[in-house]
This record gives sequence, structure tokens and C-alpha cells, in this order.
Amino acid sequence: MNGINLKKVTLPFILLCLFFLPAVIRSPYYFHTLNMTLIYIIAASSLRTIALSGQISIAHAAFMAVGAYVSAILAKYLGWSPWVTIPMGGIAGMLAGVLVGYPLVRVRAIYFSMVSLFSGMAIVALIGVCQTYTGGDAGLIGIPPLPAIDLPWLPKIVFVTSKVNQYYFFLLLTMACLFFLHRVETSRTGTNWSAISQSYLVASSVGINEAKYRVMALAVGCFFAGIAGACYAHYTMTLTSSTFGFLPSINLLIYVLVGGVGNFFGPVIGTAVLVIIPETFRWLKEYVPFIFGGIMLIVAFLMPQGISGLVTQIKERIHRNSKNGEVVHRA
Amino acid sequence: MGSQLIAQTCVNVLMLASMYIMVAMGFALILSVLDVLNFSHAAIYTVGGYICYQLTVVVGMNQWLALVASTISVGAFGLFLEKFCFRPFITDMNRIIVITLALIVILTAGINVTMGSYIKRIPSFVSGVVKVGGVSISGERLATFIIGMLLLTGIMIIIKKTRVGLQMLAIAQDMEAAALQGIRTHRIAAVTTFIGCALAGVAGSLMGAVLSLSPYMGDLMLVKAIEIVILGGIGSIGGVLVGGLVLGAIDAVLPLYVSGYATELVGLGIIIVFLLFRPQGLFGRDKVRLV
Repeated sequence: MNGINLKKVTLPFILLCLFFLPAVIRSPYYFHTLNMTLIYIIAASSLRTIALSGQISIAHAAFMAVGAYVSAILAKYLGWSPWVTIPMGGIAGMLAGVLVGYPLVRVRAIYFSMVSLFSGMAIVALIGVCQTYTGGDAGLIGIPPLPAIDLPWLPKIVFVTSKVNQYYFFLLLTMACLFFLHRVETSRTGTNWSAISQSYLVASSVGINEAKYRVMALAVGCFFAGIAGACYAHYTMTLTSSTFGFLPSINLLIYVLVGGVGNFFGPVIGTAVLVIIPETFRWLKEYVPFIFGGIMLIVAFLMPQGISGLVTQIKERIHRNSKNGEVVHRA
Repeated sequence: MGSQLIAQTCVNVLMLASMYIMVAMGFALILSVLDVLNFSHAAIYTVGGYICYQLTVVVGMNQWLALVASTISVGAFGLFLEKFCFRPFITDMNRIIVITLALIVILTAGINVTMGSYIKRIPSFVSGVVKVGGVSISGERLATFIIGMLLLTGIMIIIKKTRVGLQMLAIAQDMEAAALQGIRTHRIAAVTTFIGCALAGVAGSLMGAVLSLSPYMGDLMLVKAIEIVILGGIGSIGGVLVGGLVLGAIDAVLPLYVSGYATELVGLGIIIVFLLFRPQGLFGRDKVRLV
């Protein structure tokens, strides 16, 4: 095993599997689950990007809501194409992130989390107040779905009737988003973020503008939250504000924490596990939350670094055991 | 506003405030003594209400006895929580957050499965109307407020005057220094969790009689508890009292003027703006925590 770089082999292998998945699975129901997973992977990964700068936001679903409602309203009332409104949703999410994030620079750590929680709830309440456009509690219905792509020298790609085509779209989008987030994380900006999260005093003493980089982290994270929300809107074609309230924000945080904050693929793994496994036990009906909670407890009790830290954890244990063995042998 | 409305609103403010303070007090005690952000606190509040409902309506126990029983059993659950969920992970914030969030999911689902998701109501503890100087006030709400006041006074006396309470305060200030002075930190942590959860249980039972019980009522209460603790300032007991009063006033008075989501929006707006100017809350003194 030592000669092979596991990471370099595993990632392309998993991607290959995901691309050929439609050859194995036929049921549109499974693809619905996968599509939702992909949308939430974008949201959870962007939440982790914000967390990199030391800001644990409990309002992320609210920024998804901003993107979702902006995109849905533009597409429904102004008749714009969803291909235009989805990036607009992202930009709206980003603007909301900056607007909320700029005053929040004053507060740090647990206070940031709490004020972000209130801000998120205020955003959702605002959506409820603007009933004429957002539909309030009754929900916004009749959002246009993703339109077909009709390029001249290619076959027409229809999204409305085919969950598989939607799956490919979301897969490509998720890969693009993850690629971008990874580039940002490994760039100088990402380094500055982790410096701020370790100690904002030291970071500002070496010339890192704390306020600028913290707002920037929120802007980047909320842009992708907005994209994810807009995709959600055009995918499900209905929106209610309760989809983005307090508990959904907490759920996103759970995905990140269960997957592991320390690893880039933590939120991906966390979302996949916590969406797909409870979904496969759907026949248990009201007992499904027990499985969700059970997974969380197992992870919390047995895996300190989250699921993504499991490999390192096992490696360390084997290493330690062999070392212990040596000591015993010498004695 | 007529005098009737003013009197009723005052009672509502005091009643809501005393319930909020009871939940927030436990939350704040656990937060400052154990350094644990116990998200499951409001789920425990819901469980307390449902235990009381089960004992009164289904088993047919005396109502006051049921209240005591539910309080003690919820407190015992707090002991279990401290021993197996908080103590082993006290240094690892992320894991405790995951555990407490998992508890919300599991407890809410547990209530949903065993009791059903319909709204339930505990019969009134005190019925009738109290007439004070020409205005009539719901006796139940008044009684709820009085019970809350008595319990809170008791807790305040315990914290400020008794040995256990002073030890709690010592641990809240500095865990290691307290341990060096010979305080058994784990035991005090257990007592704190017991008191905190028991208070939440009482509040749940009383709220179940005044308003109603639903498996998801904890979500709202959790947000309220967090709001109060942040508003009052972490580590300040007086802050919890004042924060609870402010929030009770906002929640009882605002619906008279604005409706539905607007209430929530205005209430949250007030709190956000306040916190932007004073992030440490009303009485939070430790700026160290801001780091």
C-alpha cells in the first residue's frame, strides 16, 4: 500500500463511479436523493469555508434562502432564464453575506455564532413578511424548472423529464464549486483565514486585515450558499421559508461537524452519509430521525475528527499498537 | 389601552418572562459552570412537559405530584447527561455540540413516536380568575408567574448563599483554581446540570398548561434561551433576569401592534442592533471571552 498515493487514486476512482452511476441505477427516486445530496454538499462545503476563518455561522440556510428566493422571483415574475438567475441568486447570497457579515466583524467566536443565528432568523422572518412576492407560509409555487440546453451541433439536453440529466448537471456544478473552494482554501487568502482563526491578534499584528478577510470568507461562502439555494429552487420548483429556518441551518452545521471540519472532503462525506443513509431507511417512517441521531452519536463518541478523520485515526492506532508492541518486546 | 388590557399584558409579560428565565437560567448555569453550550436544553424542557402530561392525563396522577415527578426525572436525565455526554468530552467543543444536537433529534423523534405530533394540553393547575381592583386576571397565569418567582428566588439563594452555589460560582470563574482549592468540580457540575434540567422541566410542565405542548416547541425556546443569555451577558446571573424580562416584554407587547412574522423580525432586529453596540451583552464583564 505504501507505494501508491491513496488520495491520487481514490478521488478519480470515486468520480468515475459517480459518472457511470446512471448505468447501474435506474430508479429516478435514487437520483432525486443524489441530487439533493449534491445541492447540500455545495452548501455544507461553503459553510466549512466560512468556518475556516474562525466564524461558525448558524445562518447558512438563510443565505441559501436569499439565493433561492431571488432566483425564483426573477425567473417567475420577470421570466428570466434560470441559467441567468442561478448566478444572480449566488450574487444575492453574497451581497446578503457581506451586509450581515460587515457589522458582525465586531463580534467573535461564540458571540459571532449567536448573532449570526439571530440574523439568519431575521432573514427568514423578512421572507415571511414580504408575502406578496415570496408567498409567505403558503409557499412560492410555479418556479420555472431548469430549461433545456439546445446547442446547434449537440443533441438537445432536456432537464425537466430526466432526473439523470439533472444529476449530471448538479454533479458538474458541485465539482466546479468544490474545485473553486479548494483553490481558495489553498491560496494566500485561505492561509490568511486560518491565521485569523488561530489568533486574530497575531494575524493582525503581521498585517492581515482581519475585517476584510472575515467579510471575504462570508462573501465566498454565501455566494455558494446562494447558488445551492437557487439550484434547490429550480430543482424542486416550490419554496417555503421553513425549508431555510433554524433547524436547516443547524443541519448544515451538523453535516460539516459530522464529516469533520479539519478535512476538505469532510462536509462532502458528512452530507453524503447523513442524507443518503437516513433516506435508505425511509420505510421506518417516523423512526428515521433515530438513525440520523444515532449516526451523530456514533461519530461524536468514536470519531473525534469526524468521519473524514477515520482513516488517520485508524493509521495512528495501528502505529501506536506496533510501537507498544516494540516496547513490550524490549522489556 | 384600557386598564383591563394593561393588567392582562403585565401578567403576560411577567409570566412569559419567568418561564423564559427558568429555561435560560439552567442554560446559562450549564454554560458558565461546565463550559458546555447545551443545545439540547430546550428539548429537555419539552420532555419535561410531556412527562407531566403523561402522568396527569394518562396515568391520572395528582397534578402537583406529576409536576414534581417530571421535574425530578428530567433532573435525573441531566445527571446522566453530565456523566456520560459532557464529562468525557469537556475539552472538545465540537463533539459536545454534535452530541447535544443529536439529543435534540433523538428526543424530538422520541416524543413524536411515543406521543404523536398533535398539539396536547396539560389541564390547568389553577383555574378561575383573580379580581384585583376591578380588573380580572387569569389565575393560572398569575400562579405560573408566582411559582416561577418562588423557584427562581430559591435558586438565587442557593447560588449566592449556600456552599454549593459559591462553589459553582468559583468554578464558573476559574475551573482549575477552583479544583486546586479542593472543590470537587465534577460533583458541582453534576449538581448544576441537575438544577438546570429540573428548571427546564418545571418550565415545560407549566408552559404545557398555560399554552400547549408540541414536540417542536423546544426549537423556539432554544432560540429564546440563547437570546436571553447573550442579551444579558454570558456569566452574569442578573443578566439572565433582565434579559428574560426584556424578551418577555418584547414577546408579550409586540403582538399587540404588529402581527406574525413582523413580531419576530422586530424582536430580532432590536436584539441584533443592541448586540452590535454591546457585544458582551448587558452585564457581561469578561471581554476575554470575546477572543
